[in-house]
Amino acid sequence: MSSKKSTLRRRMCTKAEPSELAVIRRFVEEVAVSANLHNSRVFDLKVAVSEACANAVEHAGRNRGQLEVTALHTCGRLTFEILDTGAFHVPEADLASRRENRGLGLPLMVALMDEVNISRLREEGTRVTLSVFLDHPVEAADTG
Amino acid sequence: MEVTTSSLSGAPLLEVSGEIDHATCDLLSHSMSAALAGDDPIVLVDASQITYLDSSGISLLFATVRRLRHKGWVGIIGANANVRRLMEIVGLTVDNGLRLFPDRPTAAQAVKDTSSE
Repeated sequence: MSSKKSTLRRRMCTKAEPSELAVIRRFVEEVAVSANLHNSRVFDLKVAVSEACANAVEHAGRNRGQLEVTALHTCGRLTFEILDTGAFHVPEADLASRRENRGLGLPLMVALMDEVNISRLREEGTRVTLSVFLDHPVEAADTG
Repeated sequence: MEVTTSSLSGAPLLEVSGEIDHATCDLLSHSMSAALAGDDPIVLVDASQITYLDSSGISLLFATVRRLRHKGWVGIIGANANVRRLMEIVGLTVDNGLRLFPDRPTAAQAVKDTSSE
């Protein structure tokens, strides 16, 4: 019985391109499954992270930037951080587009996650963090 | 993602497999437009092989429901629990313009019932 906080961190970097979304979801699935999340929670995370990344891709424009996705697994929660080095933008919250149901990305993230944070980076860009709380905390394996 | 178009009880049927996301949704959107080019009042989607769906696919479903609003409906067949839950969250399942079916025979019957109304 160790009292030390155990943390597992994994990161992937990719180009902000639509075709990379499936690759990002494989990464999310791998991490979430290894955190012993239920199938439905794995799905929730895949949707939420993919939506956040899709939004970054949409705003990336022609100068495709880098997209960095970091998974952080502590004993009480599993968090995915999406760093996009383009300009700051609030994910899919364009009210004008709601009529066409195109602004569903952010509402979906909020509905599916336990916590959502969006922040403007000092050095241009957007950070989105998406967290699920773990009901039955599982001690994360040592990263080694 | 793959889309195969056929018909069931005379209604166009799209059999979709794989992941519908912002990268693949255009293909489904084109197939949907082609399926509805004949002005059919009903379109069916066999969703039993859909493993992933996000706002891109949901937007397309909303648009299709709107398109058929005053003349028919969209039928979703065999969607898995995760896909159904997502459609519930956004309010698609409470829309009269969208119907969920567990399998093809039930959907086929509903198409026949609508046609004979």
